Amino acid sequence: MSEVLNQQSVINTPGLKLPDSTIASYLPAILAVVGSVLMSLLRIQLGGERFIGDGPLIMLSLFCYLGAAVFFLTNLYAPSSTASRLGLWFTTGGVFMNLSAWGVRWVNAHDRELEIITRQGGEMPWLWRYIPFANLYDLSIAFAFGAGITTLIIAHRKSMRFIGAVSLPIASLILLLAVFIGNEFINLPPILDSYWRPIHVGTASISYGVALVCFAAAILYLLKDGVKPEAMAIWSAIFALSVFATISRGSVLTRATYTASTFLGIDASARMSLPLRTDIPLVGWLLVLSGALLVGVLIAFGVYLSKQDAGARRWGHWMLKASLVAQAAAIVSLVSQVKGMANAELLARLNPGQYARFGAFLADKQGVPAERIAQLSPAQFEQAASTWIQSEGARLYLSLNANPVELAALITAFAGTLFVIIFSFRTETLRNSIPSAEKLDSIVYRTATVAFAGLAMLLITGAIWANESWGRYWGWDSKETGAFVAWLTYAGFLHSRIARGWTGRRSAYFAIVAFMLVIFTYLGVSYLLPGLHSYA
Amino acid sequence: MRSPNECYNSDLQKLMSAIEESKSEIRVPKVTPARVSPSILTRVLNLLSSVKFGVAMLVLLVIASMIGMLVMQQNVEGFDKYYAELTPSQKLLGSALGFFDIYHVWYFNALMMVLSLNIVLASIDRFPKAWTYISRKKLDASATWLRGQEQSATFEMRDAGRDVLAGKIAAAYRTQGFKPTVTEKGARTFVFGERGAWNRLGAYAVHVALLTIFTGGFLTAQFGRTGQMPLKPGMTSNEMSETVFNLDQLTQATTPIPFDVTCTDIEQKLLKKEGPITADNTLDWLTRIKIKDEYGERDAVVQLNRPYDYRGYRFFQASFIANGKARNIKLELTPEKGGAPLTVSIPRDGSTLLPDGTKIDYADFYADFSMAGGKPQTQSGEYNNPAARLAVTPPTGGQPQRAFAFATALPEGAPIGAPIAGYKFKLAEYEKVPDAHILSVQKDPGSSIFYLGGGLLGLTLSAVFFFSHQRVWTLVEERGDGEYEVVIGGNTNRNALGFGERFKRLVSVITGKPQEVSDNE
Repeated sequence: MSEVLNQQSVINTPGLKLPDSTIASYLPAILAVVGSVLMSLLRIQLGGERFIGDGPLIMLSLFCYLGAAVFFLTNLYAPSSTASRLGLWFTTGGVFMNLSAWGVRWVNAHDRELEIITRQGGEMPWLWRYIPFANLYDLSIAFAFGAGITTLIIAHRKSMRFIGAVSLPIASLILLLAVFIGNEFINLPPILDSYWRPIHVGTASISYGVALVCFAAAILYLLKDGVKPEAMAIWSAIFALSVFATISRGSVLTRATYTASTFLGIDASARMSLPLRTDIPLVGWLLVLSGALLVGVLIAFGVYLSKQDAGARRWGHWMLKASLVAQAAAIVSLVSQVKGMANAELLARLNPGQYARFGAFLADKQGVPAERIAQLSPAQFEQAASTWIQSEGARLYLSLNANPVELAALITAFAGTLFVIIFSFRTETLRNSIPSAEKLDSIVYRTATVAFAGLAMLLITGAIWANESWGRYWGWDSKETGAFVAWLTYAGFLHSRIARGWTGRRSAYFAIVAFMLVIFTYLGVSYLLPGLHSYA
Repeated sequence: MRSPNECYNSDLQKLMSAIEESKSEIRVPKVTPARVSPSILTRVLNLLSSVKFGVAMLVLLVIASMIGMLVMQQNVEGFDKYYAELTPSQKLLGSALGFFDIYHVWYFNALMMVLSLNIVLASIDRFPKAWTYISRKKLDASATWLRGQEQSATFEMRDAGRDVLAGKIAAAYRTQGFKPTVTEKGARTFVFGERGAWNRLGAYAVHVALLTIFTGGFLTAQFGRTGQMPLKPGMTSNEMSETVFNLDQLTQATTPIPFDVTCTDIEQKLLKKEGPITADNTLDWLTRIKIKDEYGERDAVVQLNRPYDYRGYRFFQASFIANGKARNIKLELTPEKGGAPLTVSIPRDGSTLLPDGTKIDYADFYADFSMAGGKPQTQSGEYNNPAARLAVTPPTGGQPQRAFAFATALPEGAPIGAPIAGYKFKLAEYEKVPDAHILSVQKDPGSSIFYLGGGLLGLTLSAVFFFSHQRVWTLVEERGDGEYEVVIGGNTNRNALGFGERFKRLVSVITGKPQEVSDNE
């Protein structure tokens, strides 16, 4: 019979000072998923009229994610098991609502198809046809869910919950983008009617979500590793200035004017976004003011970081906060005016300088051959646009859904500035509350490996689907190249750890760049570049 | 909470242990410093086999791919408009650098080839070490080294004998999935256990998968052919037309295929039957074909997302000519002499025989009927004024007479609606279909290899990242009077947290005491 006489030392590393990973510790994640399945079943049972739709569920999810982030952040500044627990359960609620929104949308899509197709005497199509992976709205819900469930799985260890303080606000931004895109159903392009769609897009959603958590861990790593909030402020200011420079066709920084895209109402349920923009008063000036303050931030923090000038630091923080206020005012002003602007005012604020471009768009839409369009003069386009606006102008209106990416970019810039300000507040307390840099580096590495494997699966499943649908498995289409580039960057991340021992800060920078490329693939390719993936 | 001194000691321990492990595990033969500088070939090989060089290649590949994303490529729809808007200098620079077709220029291909070479050489360079690492196991370890491992525990135990205790520890190893090996050296017994040793080779398998994918891509690029084949019922073709891109100039080249393809039917399933035959109102396109060659005849259906394969050629639904036609028409025939109207259905290019012997051929269909110069035509592809042209042969024989059946009611006495061969014709129903389907035809000798590589990549990535090589050593040393000092240590190449928990369970099984759980929050 063995007998332990004396246990001198047991387990000498922090890794073992962790609770066992048991099924029970995954209960929140299991509850969220099972609950949302039950929610979808309940929707089937009760019917659509008496049931909550995906829109309100997304708003609830957004509320839960943001609430959880606040609790996790509070827990970092003032550790409290209550805040940590509340953060966990709010995250669980957020994931539940998020997946429920997706499930309910699936059932709603079924009912819609049933109504359209069976009314025609046709057969009800198979289950996967109406799975909500049809456009960027669907993908955004699933992306946010990927980030939420990854956070929840990581948070099964109590000491890892802090990740939610950064990952959940970013997931909220993705959900907010979905809200701005709008939840109208589309008629599924026939090419998407394949069982590879849920496999491919599902893989994309989860991979993107994991990449988001990797990014959040990398940001926290940099903070823990001693990167000054002022250095982060420089990067966030550059990002915000890039947003201001590119939105509204560059008119913010060149003419101090912000213009919003208009919608053309086609019928009760259909509308079309037009490249015809109307001036939104005040917003341009507020963004210019914010941009000027951010330039001041760049100079002040540049001086502070190079010369350790305390005065410059103080001025920089002051300007950063002022810029935040200006950005908030711009966003509030934009949202309120877009929601409230009457048709007459909209028409009065249309800048005729864009008519030539809009006329060319109209000609193209009306099927005028390219050779004929090339022969028309700008004056003819202006005339055509003017005539069209006179006859159809009454059907134009503004909507937050008409500018989803611009609005989301403005809010992301705002969130970036806000987070830098939060990180600047009692930075040392925050740093001390965040677990060790080694642990953060480990999370960055582990999530990066999962993202890398997920993106590889994304590329492979996409290639197989492309071969089934388009007759080639690889065609250097913008979206597939974007995913390939992101995957290569994660490959570079992994190999640089082996080749150069790039762990820690450099590794974190690599993870940040890789996530930027994921976002570019997710959004930039869909909105900016031509290609076969223009629907998503 | 450990004191700074303890941390320092721990770090020192780790450093010393690492030195000891590197001595015992890697067993690299001693290399005497070279007196002569390496040859150029050696330097080149060293460079090509270095991971740093591979990372540099990856970065270049990322940059080239990003250029390809941001600069519109010449095979993308709308390139002609994009190209027309560029300034002459942009056109010159873009063409000279190959930016408009970057994925096919020489330097992109060279980059892919060098990257492939780097993968091969780097793998050859490192594989022997990895093989040695798993084949020549480190079976023993000093107490100092063990205490410096990622996980370690030290305790004293009493038992009937060293071998008995070692046997129990080996049994405990098995409960946690470690394969144990017990060795004795003098007064010390070592129990070594490991799991997932093969994981050390996973990275090489991933690279083999990648090379397989690259090989498939190379075969596709070099020997693959893709073309298009427009088909409408009755049409036979044995060639496909390929579009050759040269900036904004497009030319067509035809490539023969070794069999005849005859279209027997085309069908378009619509979402809303009253809607147009546009893509956004379509559920599916079906092209029924008959293939004929020296091996005989076979029927096939090509559907969207359901290609058809034959003799290395793959047929896909690619596009359609959206000029409205009717796959089937249903006619209402009113006898001129009175009597109950007849209803007949005729398929496209088909005919029917009435009970009285009158033969009706369905000759053509006009979606937006009009007459120009006495000839029927369609003003557009949309179903604004649908009409079917018929050839009616009376029972008595003779030349078929032309007749039209309209979906809309004609004005009374309109000449075009006059009775023909004793009947007035009305188009009661019709099934919408486009004029022709355009199939994409692909001959791709690389796709199977690509699929193989893709499958391998999925498996190997899972094997590499979701498993780990975990190793544990236990040193049992006698202290006298049946008491033994037991030192356990272990490490893993991945998933440190999971390994930590497994290690804790192992210690619990050996000591019979559950380990204390403390949370660092």
